[in-house]
Amino acid sequence: MHVDLWREIRSSSAGVFGMVIVAIIAGLAVSAPITAPSYRDIGPVFSPPSGEHLLGTDDLGQDIAAKLIHGARTSLMIAFGVAILSALISVIVGGSAAMLGGTYDRVCMRAVDAVMSLPSVVVMILVGAYLKPDLWLLIILISLFSWPGGARIVRSQTLSLRERLHVVAARAFGASRGYILVRHILPDLGPVLVAIMIQDARRAVLMEAGLAFLGVSDPMVVSWGRMMKQAMAFTYLDAWKWWLIPAGVLLSVTLVGFSLIAAALERAMDPRLQEDV
Amino acid sequence: MSSLLKRYDFIIKIDLIWLSNYVASFLLILILNFVLPRMMPGDPLHAIYGEEALIAMTPEMEAEIIKRFALDQPWHAQLLTYIIALLRGDLGYSYYYRTGVSDVILCFLPWTLLLTGLAFMISSCIGVILGIESGYRRGSKFDGFMLPIMMFLGGMPDFFIGIILLLLFGVTLGLAPLGGAMSPYAGHSGIDLVMDIAHHLMLPLITLVLVQLAPTYLLTRNAMLTTLRARFIMTAKATGLSEGDIRYKHAGRNSLLPVVTAIGIRVPNMITGALFLEIVFSYPGVGTLLNTALSARDYPLIQGVLLIVTVTVLTTNFLVDMTYTRLDPRVRYAR
Amino acid sequence: MMLEISGLVARYGEHEVLRGIDLRLEKGDSLAIIGESGAGKTTLGLAMMRLTGARLDGKLLFDGMNLLEFSEDEMRRLRGDRMAMVFQNVEDALDPVYTAEEQVCEAISAHNKWSKTRIRERARALLTAVGLDEMRYRLYPHQLSGGERQRVLIAMALANDPDLLILDEPTASLDALTKADIVELLRSATSDRISIIITHDISLASSLSKKMAVLYSGAIMEMGRTADLIRNPKHPYTRGLLRSFPSMSTTKDLQGIPGRTIPGIGGCPFHPRCTQKMEICEREVPRPVELNGRQIACHRGGIVPLLEIRDVSKKFNGFHAVSHVTLTLYEGETVALVGESGSGKTTLAKILMGLIEPDSGEILLEGERARWDAGFYRRVQMIFQNPKESISHRLNVLQAVREPLDVQKMGSEEERITSAMWALESAELPTDPEFLRRYPHQLSGGEAQRVAIARALVMHPKLLIADEPTSALDPSVQAKILRLLMDLQERMGLSILFITHDIALARKVSDRIAVMLRGSIVEEGPSGEVLREPAHWYTASLVECASICTRTVGVPAMEQ
Repeated sequence: MHVDLWREIRSSSAGVFGMVIVAIIAGLAVSAPITAPSYRDIGPVFSPPSGEHLLGTDDLGQDIAAKLIHGARTSLMIAFGVAILSALISVIVGGSAAMLGGTYDRVCMRAVDAVMSLPSVVVMILVGAYLKPDLWLLIILISLFSWPGGARIVRSQTLSLRERLHVVAARAFGASRGYILVRHILPDLGPVLVAIMIQDARRAVLMEAGLAFLGVSDPMVVSWGRMMKQAMAFTYLDAWKWWLIPAGVLLSVTLVGFSLIAAALERAMDPRLQEDV
Repeated sequence: MSSLLKRYDFIIKIDLIWLSNYVASFLLILILNFVLPRMMPGDPLHAIYGEEALIAMTPEMEAEIIKRFALDQPWHAQLLTYIIALLRGDLGYSYYYRTGVSDVILCFLPWTLLLTGLAFMISSCIGVILGIESGYRRGSKFDGFMLPIMMFLGGMPDFFIGIILLLLFGVTLGLAPLGGAMSPYAGHSGIDLVMDIAHHLMLPLITLVLVQLAPTYLLTRNAMLTTLRARFIMTAKATGLSEGDIRYKHAGRNSLLPVVTAIGIRVPNMITGALFLEIVFSYPGVGTLLNTALSARDYPLIQGVLLIVTVTVLTTNFLVDMTYTRLDPRVRYAR
Repeated sequence: MMLEISGLVARYGEHEVLRGIDLRLEKGDSLAIIGESGAGKTTLGLAMMRLTGARLDGKLLFDGMNLLEFSEDEMRRLRGDRMAMVFQNVEDALDPVYTAEEQVCEAISAHNKWSKTRIRERARALLTAVGLDEMRYRLYPHQLSGGERQRVLIAMALANDPDLLILDEPTASLDALTKADIVELLRSATSDRISIIITHDISLASSLSKKMAVLYSGAIMEMGRTADLIRNPKHPYTRGLLRSFPSMSTTKDLQGIPGRTIPGIGGCPFHPRCTQKMEICEREVPRPVELNGRQIACHRGGIVPLLEIRDVSKKFNGFHAVSHVTLTLYEGETVALVGESGSGKTTLAKILMGLIEPDSGEILLEGERARWDAGFYRRVQMIFQNPKESISHRLNVLQAVREPLDVQKMGSEEERITSAMWALESAELPTDPEFLRRYPHQLSGGEAQRVAIARALVMHPKLLIADEPTSALDPSVQAKILRLLMDLQERMGLSILFITHDIALARKVSDRIAVMLRGSIVEEGPSGEVLREPAHWYTASLVECASICTRTVGVPAMEQ
């Protein structure tokens, strides 16, 4: 299967829309040190939106808009970190299971099934409650629960790639497993991996926000989920309009952006879903 | 007779393979529950119960707990005590509620089951029907309308949808209660009680259905697109079957298979979603309990919730697997 | 009961998949539609059921009703009831989640409001009739074998005793023995109704149909009685199709059709691949013309006769070397002239080449009397038994090959060299200067014969007379030279008169065989037929002798 991912995403309006969204969020995140350097400064509490504070201040008197920009930073760091780490584990486990086969394969797939049927958020709540994770530990934790789906896809892809004629041909002239993996299988896994990483990134953003919403987060890190949790305590005030809603909207928009890219990718890789019949 | 026996034997063998899967997941949780607190640096008692709980404890209580969990014994004795306690249904002691963890959870669990069970059934039915219709009429106005909506809904975080609905219908419009599963001290009975419960359930239920609709819809639609390309659809058309029969009896029924398979992944999602929504709507289910336990740092309670949720998820998945073999003859015989 | 199709056109957007189909079938008729994949066979079948996604125009009269004017619901009531279709038995032609019996029951209940028991009884009777084992009624498709699934599909199609039965590749993907069973079953199922068999399998078509239509690029090229059409194809495409199909009755090695289908071109759809095309073929779509029960759509009226030998005789000193020989050679075919030495084969060849004047009779080339002028030799060339002797020992390769051009004074110096190079390449010879400078004695026998062939090709002839072209060569070289001749025939539409004494060799290279004995042609016909059932004792003895010889040798006469 040869898929020009970039072209496929651009050719679907949903994909383009998703890319634009993620790009804007990424722009916000990168610009944080310039646009919102003083997000920790404390001023008057619960002040409504004004020229000075675009979205007013929260219960600590911190500027909400500035915190939102820094929240984008957190979300995207988590998304990026988990996408890489989780995809790496997926490739290692899925790829090796497919290449080695036998009992090892069976054990790996059992492990995949076992982890997949766990309610991962709840498990992470428990682990998070004990370990009180910082950003990096959170990335590792989320990755530990995100890899199985990807591993399963990588495995089935590798198995089918292994039967492709050009790989069989390479084997027929004596190529080693390692050579085949690096030279023929990994490059062909590319599109699938991108799709897996996008999905992982989406899940990671959602999980981080969810955990923070439940209070499992590093208090030193600004997070949309955490902001929503704090704002939920003040729904009797008008503050939710410029505090809770913007945080939720930003989170939703980011998630939708990732979803749209993922859907475009899925369509690109499954010709049956494409429009021309 | 012998052939019947043989078939029976076959089924048992299959079940064992499946079961091993569930046992593996279950063991994973047990190990996590057992090892995690004991892995923490310092006094295991502190780790298991947390600093806050210990302040509230008397030395007698501490001694009692150490004895109960065999915390002064080597780890294998601790494990044995742990397993024996589990077998007796003893999930530990909640210092916050000052009673057994299992009793606390049993109080909250029914509400969660009611919410998730109903949401599951409703979202599955609507999602499948919409997916079948949308897939069958791909490219139609209906399809062009549903697809973006569902993709958008599927992308939103569940608790934020809940928050919006709560703020809109509860806070602003005052159409729905702001929390709880029924009106306290109202003393309703009979049909009034049912209506009261339904009134409280409405908003969380609608949210959960909305959240769960999208994945079912999208999966059914995709499955439908694939199924419609199968030759047997052409055979059915050439046989002169009615549109409805082709759409539901043939294309629909076959598109259902991947949807049922995916329930295994949906159930944990569903329960997680319910936990969040319960917190948003202050609905007295396991999610709210978990939130309370988290803020009170009642670790045994968190562990207990995790265990119960896991068991629920695994049981549902097992039931789903059993159903699947009924639905797809190829699996029924081929496995 | 009648199916009448006229001017049926199927379009996907601008692209015409069917370009004006005319058919007329009555009860009891069975029509096979053959053609390469992409010819529009399946679209035609689906169009009759109105199941294709393509836009349909024209007339589709079924029992007097124009189906193209029917509503979808009216069509639905016809499908499966009065018209039914059996699809190719791919894995998923049956719904995987219902049992065989359930699916047959459904086919019945779709058109009959009967009680459940009655439906089930009828379903079981049908399944029994198609030969499905009673133990297997309640099984799911994946538990049935390919043949069994096909039986179920046939039972479903027959459920309501349709007037029109369309079979789309009904035996593809079945093994040979199962296929034979299914064909037997279909033979009884197709009788007493209108049946249409869509297939690329000519043997299946011939065993199930009385009539056959050859479809190419959405148009019917030729149509006629099945046995007739296979024995004596008149359209160049039909002949190409038959030549590329392995069957037990043809003996010639498989040949392809040059080029590939080019969709959406004007004129005759086959013209880019046709070796006898004229200028009109590129401009106008040929109308189907019927003659003696055969319908052909070709501007040239089908395969044209290239060389006609009419009642030619030659006497040498009272001895009848050639006596009253009549033989026709068509465009693009190989006729083997078989006979022992002294039977008059070579004399006939020399008469054809104008080297000997016949006593009586006439010879026509492309419908005109042969005058053995420059125009004649441009179209007819000869290669001889002894290649080295046929090339002057004073000429090198290049000079030898361009010799005919020099003789005829055709083209400029450069054009002659280019033509010579092309001819050498066509004969699969090297064109490097070193080789071009070689003289005949420096060539091997095979190379020399190739040079001789190149020399014959340089004029772009239509007919090649090959007089024992390989008898002086080693067997392996002989095989390669024969292969070359057949490739040239496929590519350029060359006709070959192959003169040989070896009937086993003739069998592998010829479309038709003419047997010559003492100056007369005693038997003539399609090679497979002549060899299988020789009519003349002399042919029989030749065949007999050849099979004994090859049997004792123990290797096939010719293998590539």
